[in-house]
Amino acid sequence: MKSLRRFFTRLVNSAARRAQEERLREEIHEHIALQTEENLRAGLSPVEARRQAMLKFGGVEAMKQDYRAERGLLLIENLLGDLRNAARSISRMPGLAAVIIVSLAIGIGVNTTIFSWIQMILFEPMPAVSGAANFLLVEPRTEAGGYPGASWLEYRDVQTQVPALRDVVASQMVPFNVGERGHTERTHGQLVSGNYFFALALKPALGRFFRPEEAERPGTEPVLVISYDYWQTRFRGAPDAVGQTVRVNERDLVVIGVAPKDFQGTLVPLKFELWAPATMAPALLGGTRDLEDRTIRSFSLIGMLRPGATRQEAQAEFSTAMAQLARDYPDASAGIGGDILPFWSSPRGPQRLLISGLAILQGVMLLLLLAVCGNTANLMLARGSTRQREMAVRVALGAGRWRIASLVLSENMLLALLGTSLGAAFAVWGTTALRVAPVIGAFPLLFPTRVDAFTLAFAMLLGAACGLIFSAAPAVHLARLDVQDGLRSSSNTPPRSRARRVLMGVEVGLAMVVLIAAALFLESFRSARQTDPRFRPEGVLLAAYDLSGRNPNDTSEREFAARLLERLRSLPDVEAAAIATNVPLDLHGIPARPFTVQGRVRTQSGQDRAISNTVTPGYFKVMAIPLVEGNDFADMRDKAAPAQAIVNEEFVRRYLNGADAIGRRLQTRAASFTITGVARNSVYDAFGEPAQPAVYFSYRDRPQDQGEIHLRTRSANETALTSEARAVLRDLDPMLPLYDVRTFSQHIERNLYLRRIPARMFAVLGPLLLGLAAVGIYAVVSYAVARRTREIGVRLAFGATSGRVVLQIIRENLGVIAWGAAIGWVLALVISGHAIPKGGVDLPVFIGVPAILLAVATLACWIPARRASRIDPMAALRHE
Amino acid sequence: MKQKADVLQGTLALMVLKTLDVLGPLHGYGIARRIEQISGDLLAVNQGTLYPVLLKLEQEGAIASEWGASENNRRARFYRLTRAGRKQLQAETKDWEQTATIIGRFFEAKPEDLS
Repeated sequence: MKSLRRFFTRLVNSAARRAQEERLREEIHEHIALQTEENLRAGLSPVEARRQAMLKFGGVEAMKQDYRAERGLLLIENLLGDLRNAARSISRMPGLAAVIIVSLAIGIGVNTTIFSWIQMILFEPMPAVSGAANFLLVEPRTEAGGYPGASWLEYRDVQTQVPALRDVVASQMVPFNVGERGHTERTHGQLVSGNYFFALALKPALGRFFRPEEAERPGTEPVLVISYDYWQTRFRGAPDAVGQTVRVNERDLVVIGVAPKDFQGTLVPLKFELWAPATMAPALLGGTRDLEDRTIRSFSLIGMLRPGATRQEAQAEFSTAMAQLARDYPDASAGIGGDILPFWSSPRGPQRLLISGLAILQGVMLLLLLAVCGNTANLMLARGSTRQREMAVRVALGAGRWRIASLVLSENMLLALLGTSLGAAFAVWGTTALRVAPVIGAFPLLFPTRVDAFTLAFAMLLGAACGLIFSAAPAVHLARLDVQDGLRSSSNTPPRSRARRVLMGVEVGLAMVVLIAAALFLESFRSARQTDPRFRPEGVLLAAYDLSGRNPNDTSEREFAARLLERLRSLPDVEAAAIATNVPLDLHGIPARPFTVQGRVRTQSGQDRAISNTVTPGYFKVMAIPLVEGNDFADMRDKAAPAQAIVNEEFVRRYLNGADAIGRRLQTRAASFTITGVARNSVYDAFGEPAQPAVYFSYRDRPQDQGEIHLRTRSANETALTSEARAVLRDLDPMLPLYDVRTFSQHIERNLYLRRIPARMFAVLGPLLLGLAAVGIYAVVSYAVARRTREIGVRLAFGATSGRVVLQIIRENLGVIAWGAAIGWVLALVISGHAIPKGGVDLPVFIGVPAILLAVATLACWIPARRASRIDPMAALRHE
Repeated sequence: MKQKADVLQGTLALMVLKTLDVLGPLHGYGIARRIEQISGDLLAVNQGTLYPVLLKLEQEGAIASEWGASENNRRARFYRLTRAGRKQLQAETKDWEQTATIIGRFFEAKPEDLS
């Protein structure tokens, strides 16, 4: 109690410092006056009386110190004093401080932004769901290593047979056509198990979620939960939205609840708007047998571990369960095992792809931050050396080493704090800007990244680490200062600082690594864009349709595609039309399929795989991919021809050793095909990829419920075809929307979006880093030169030409820089060798970057050197 | 070194409290004089050490201070005991007496008492 009271009084006293000081002064004064009077009365002379009084009182300063220590909180006061001091000394160097703060802010901002993505994927993969990172994926796995999803009955079995998992949740992604005939709108939703919202521990923003019985019997209550956004946009957030009916896939569903804000489903980053019970599947999907057929693997399962259970236990139980299912239902489950995977490694969606890219990016950006730290340390060191005298005086007056170090530290920490705050602001801005991603492909994506407390803590940690890193050198340097030396030496004859030169070398080395990484990335991005995709995207319009809501069969799908193509080809502006299941250069990639081919001599174990795309006749004409051998597929309505496949040149080279492919049999898991043609290689997944083997199947043999319409226009403007294509589809089926209409060029641009972000980052940060390196070198050299004014004066007086002086200064500094650059160069070479094993060395980058860096460094040395060599020798000698 | 200062401060504080208890409100010099008179040389050399102790006591609430006029009609800070201070004095006096008794017994003890 007492000590608490004392603490608060002290706290208050710390604030009211001046008044207290005054009071003490007055008391001391009074005390001594009274004692002097008494001494006078005792018969001492006035002078002696006062002297004795003061002697008796004792050391005033020491007492004052005790008094102050008693009065306030010394540590805090010192800290505040240091901070005041730091703020003052920073405000005396606005230019330098601005360079340091802004460069730190950029480094920290970029790192924090990237970290917020990593954090989102690893730790908060589902917005609005707390503890979402604890969910595990429950994935059946085929022998070939694919993850086909689980069937509904399988889900029921897993629920009971894997006790290590509780609340296993099943969901299926379905496209919904919402609205009345002729005015349908395509929206994405999920069919979910009854425990879905309960297991995710969500609270409805309005209304309620499914009751267990609503997801028990097929075709029970037709109910619907809508997303918060959907509620806001379609119902304007009206409270009476609950209870209204929405027409979905030609069925009336009653809205019973609204999901919490930000919740976007369980397949992030896909954004879903509607949720219906899985038992509604037959009603919503035209009588599909999803709920009773074990071969229809349309559900994704996730679950959380029961308290105390481990992932290994869950994995073991799941494997046992799947093995049992394989014995019980050999038709549907033979050879299917299962994996329990962490949530972030989802085989669907781009998380896994993103995380490795982000890790590399984060690594490079941390290096950049380190280079910024080196730069700052150097600037502070150079500045610190001009303060040697000041520090020496402080030490002489009794400041301890620790006080000196803390003085320097507080100054740097204040800089770091300012930089971090600005950096956090950058990160908030950057994260928001990146989140507003354009719609990519057919599915609405939303990356729920945000800067939260965790991310801010990361930024603070980075800032503190930076502050410590760039404080270390100057603090040690000043604390080790010899007082005698510091006081004696004038500011013009400093000892040469090895630390500064080493730091300069390190900084240049780091800059070299980061710049080469940036250049390699930009170069690959640029050259990729310029590579010939080996098909012709210009003049092609893409649009998608989806029959899955109709529960179509092979015949109806084939017939629909055939009629659609006939109608489209009859349009005057259409030169060629085709339908395909996959579009090249899509963010989500094109699936690869295992197969065996007649005449293939296998040397290794494992399965042959090839990119597979199912297309209609005419596809190669639309895409302008020439057939080098054989013919296009048989007509859609041809019932006589055997099942056909067309392979590409890489396929023939890799799997058939270049032998004649026509007429060979190709076997997939489901069926057997005859190869009737060989198409030229083209790009499938990414610009600049190595040639990939590919197989094209015919829509005639493998009709699909979804299709991407490809239209090649006769005129220059492919977008003009949009309305005609819409009209054709509406004619064929008024309830079917045409969606995701875009030109092929737009498709490519959108899917390059994710690669463009780092490209832009590098494009901005590269020059910036170069500028920082230049500023760092400039500062070091100009400080060093300024302090050798006298030496230079002597040289000039003895007849050295200014050119020689400049040359000598440049040579001295460039030596260190060249060492740093060389080490960085080798490091970059090793790293690029590891990152791009077969890429070879990109000579223009590995020669160009060092050339630019060294040129900039030379310039940064030359400017101060030249200024120094211009001085009048007499003035320099008289300098002191 | 710190230990010694603490002991000194502890006893000094008690002396200050007792002085104020007996003599009523006093300024710093007055307290110093009284203590000097009673305790002999303890405060003879460094009267200044009194002030941090006064401050500590004031911050603990044992004493309060206000400005007043000194004998020679100058502004001086007068200290007086508060109610809490009186209580503290009583408690510490008891402590001291107890401690003194115990220590006294120890000094009077003979080898045969301890065996």
